[in-house]
Amino acid sequence: MEDKKEQELDEIRKKLKELLVTNLNLENIKPEQIKDNEILFGEGLGLDSLDAVEIVVLLQRNFDLDVKNMNEEKKIFYSVDTLSRYILEKRKR
Amino acid sequence: MQSGNVVISGMGVISACGKNISETRDTFAAGRRNGSETTLFETMLKYPVFEVKGFSGGDGKFMRTLELAFVTVRQALEDSGLEDKLNDFRIGVCLGTTVASQLNDIDFYNEYKNTGSASLCSVERYLKGNLAEAVSKKIGVSGLACTVVNACSSGTDAIGVGLSWLRADLCDIVICGGADELNRVPLAGFGSLGVVSDSLCKPFDKDRSGLNLGEGAGVIIIEKEGICRKRGKKTELFLRGYGLAADAYHLTTPRPNGSGLETALARAMDEAGITPSQVAFVNAHGTATPDNDLVEGKVLARVFGAGLKFLSTKGYSGHTLGAAGGIEAVFTILGLCGGWIPQSAGFEKPDDTIGISPVTQKTTISGQYAISTSLAFGGNNSAIVIGKE
Amino acid sequence: MQIVGMGVVFNRGRGVQTLEKALEEGWVPPTDSTYSVAEDTLKDKSVLKEMRRADKFSKMACFAAYDAFVDSGLGNEVKSSLGIILATAFGPHVTTFRFLDDILDYGDTNVSPTVFSHSVHNAAASYIALVLGARGPTLTVTQFAHSFHQALIIAQSWLRERRCEYILVGNADQCGVVMEYICRQKLRLAEDGKIKPFLFSQRPCAVPGEGSAFFLVTEGKTEKCYCSVLAQTVGTQDMYLLDSDGMVGDERCYLKMAKGGIPVNSYTPIFGSMLTQSSFSCAAAALMLKNQRHYASPVQDNPFGANICRLTEEKETESVACVRYNCGIERSQITLKR
Repeated sequence: MEDKKEQELDEIRKKLKELLVTNLNLENIKPEQIKDNEILFGEGLGLDSLDAVEIVVLLQRNFDLDVKNMNEEKKIFYSVDTLSRYILEKRKR
Repeated sequence: MQSGNVVISGMGVISACGKNISETRDTFAAGRRNGSETTLFETMLKYPVFEVKGFSGGDGKFMRTLELAFVTVRQALEDSGLEDKLNDFRIGVCLGTTVASQLNDIDFYNEYKNTGSASLCSVERYLKGNLAEAVSKKIGVSGLACTVVNACSSGTDAIGVGLSWLRADLCDIVICGGADELNRVPLAGFGSLGVVSDSLCKPFDKDRSGLNLGEGAGVIIIEKEGICRKRGKKTELFLRGYGLAADAYHLTTPRPNGSGLETALARAMDEAGITPSQVAFVNAHGTATPDNDLVEGKVLARVFGAGLKFLSTKGYSGHTLGAAGGIEAVFTILGLCGGWIPQSAGFEKPDDTIGISPVTQKTTISGQYAISTSLAFGGNNSAIVIGKE
Repeated sequence: MQIVGMGVVFNRGRGVQTLEKALEEGWVPPTDSTYSVAEDTLKDKSVLKEMRRADKFSKMACFAAYDAFVDSGLGNEVKSSLGIILATAFGPHVTTFRFLDDILDYGDTNVSPTVFSHSVHNAAASYIALVLGARGPTLTVTQFAHSFHQALIIAQSWLRERRCEYILVGNADQCGVVMEYICRQKLRLAEDGKIKPFLFSQRPCAVPGEGSAFFLVTEGKTEKCYCSVLAQTVGTQDMYLLDSDGMVGDERCYLKMAKGGIPVNSYTPIFGSMLTQSSFSCAAAALMLKNQRHYASPVQDNPFGANICRLTEEKETESVACVRYNCGIERSQITLKR
């Protein structure tokens, strides 16, 4: 059961990394080079406020997730890993 | 370069506040906010917007933006006494817009996308619809014409360009300001940026949650003082200064320290030959987004001190994009001439991080100068100084 | 007002040297149905470092403006007083249509904010300011065929008002598939890819183009100076460059000028048809004046016997006028002097 959850999480992380690179036009980095615990904003990938709202759309289109208020749900957007876990959790509901 | 004063001899305005100056004044006096869901187009978006209610938008020959502009140009020409005198002068037209400059007709594109061909009706309308050019043709003048597309500061910047033209002696009189209609495309766009509020906007309020879009047009007529006096038109109003500066920071976020706005204000006041203490009030850009109001508010506090009388009129008109600078120039003149400004609609709770709050009730104004500011996506910052004799 | 730096991005590539080479080479057929700018032209990472999201429209403008700045030899110390004025006829319409794709495919609540923020006309000028760190006044204007002329008028005014000391003034216009479709419906397109500017036809042929040309202008003379430029008509000039490119229909208005026997030329066949063509004509004129060279007309079909340049040769030239008519037969003229 845990293995299955971990496998699902892995798939989400992989897809998320691909979407981040493509949709945010990240340069000089391939999806497989992004670490699971890569920080999204500020350091790490160094994303900015425009990327943040783009990620909201990305979640809607690819994972059918609606993020109502980014400020309230800031911790979800901390890293690739926290975002992936959020997606997995919402998916199960 | 020509020295000499530039006067404001006429104005016209249409917005959710009213179809003319008189209705606008009444709306401000009553503190009335006319925001509601849009009735102009089909959309899933339920944000409150500020439409010009009961405005038919003409027979479809021109875009709604142009029809709004035509109304205010007619008002301004009548106000300035120029309607039947246009051929006596070199008249320039400089107007700002966003929607009218964009080839964004959804029906046209949808048809093309689905079938590979489409009727060009809306394209023809667009090609005949360059705002400044269309207004020039409508009123029958053939001087300089230029449409400014500087996003949310377009209207203020169009006024600034008009001022430059007069100083360069390229025209005697300039019709300037801005116009923009409420449109599904920018509504969706601003919504996606997460900057649109689900409720009526609260500029500078601690709990502000974004802007409301609006529509309208605002036009002022500026001319060389000598020309105005010679033709016997009396006015006590002057366009004293204009400042424009870039943030060079980010496509959608203002520079956090507000240095671009500070530079624009300094340049405008320097041109006007005034100091901050001489400014009776500021009509702020005040969109009610967390970022804009924080940056703008802090700059106002820094430059003018926490005692500054200021307001955002976007709580009454919505954010009218390319029209905002023109509409708010008129609103600023109303305040300066009338000796009062309305409460800053939507504001209730001070935001301590900003350090300054707008007026919370109808406020008496005394003084000779007022400023209107505009901040645009892409980091344009503009300010105009209006003076009264 | 002096032109002290130039940058161009067009079908043949990027840079003043590429422009010079193109003027020497003459007409070359476009690689596809339009004179489009190749993606490879816009790949220089040293310019693009802050521009990962930028669309082609913004990139073209940035490269041209950046190159104009570098070409001038001016340093970072001028950037606080460096203004930007961008002229465009249609703005980033390709990106606007991409945004409409989002609305149609995903609905109003599910559209891309990045695409939207690039669909506004002033995005390109903002990127130029960002890339160069230019903190002076920044403006974008649109006036269809007279856009560039209007931009130059404002530039001249700003310099005289001392609103800033230096200005990057230029154009950017793009041609995507939808615009090409519109051109096919409204204009007569040249199936052989050849604009013939001296046919002065009532229904001339066009070949849509895209690109950007920027000039760094200032009041005082600097060490590097191409020529002076005036946004007004001033007397008779040594040469008249005609913006006859099929874009606004009836070109008989240009014939009046050419019939008088005055020296005329047109480089529109090199750049393609664009409403903001005037900027490219100015770029060619600036090189003519700097190099004291006339470049042969790239397409020499000339049934009216206009006095065109048949050869590329050294030729003393004091002044060149770039003339553009719009579809209302209203004329704008930009005069460049040695």
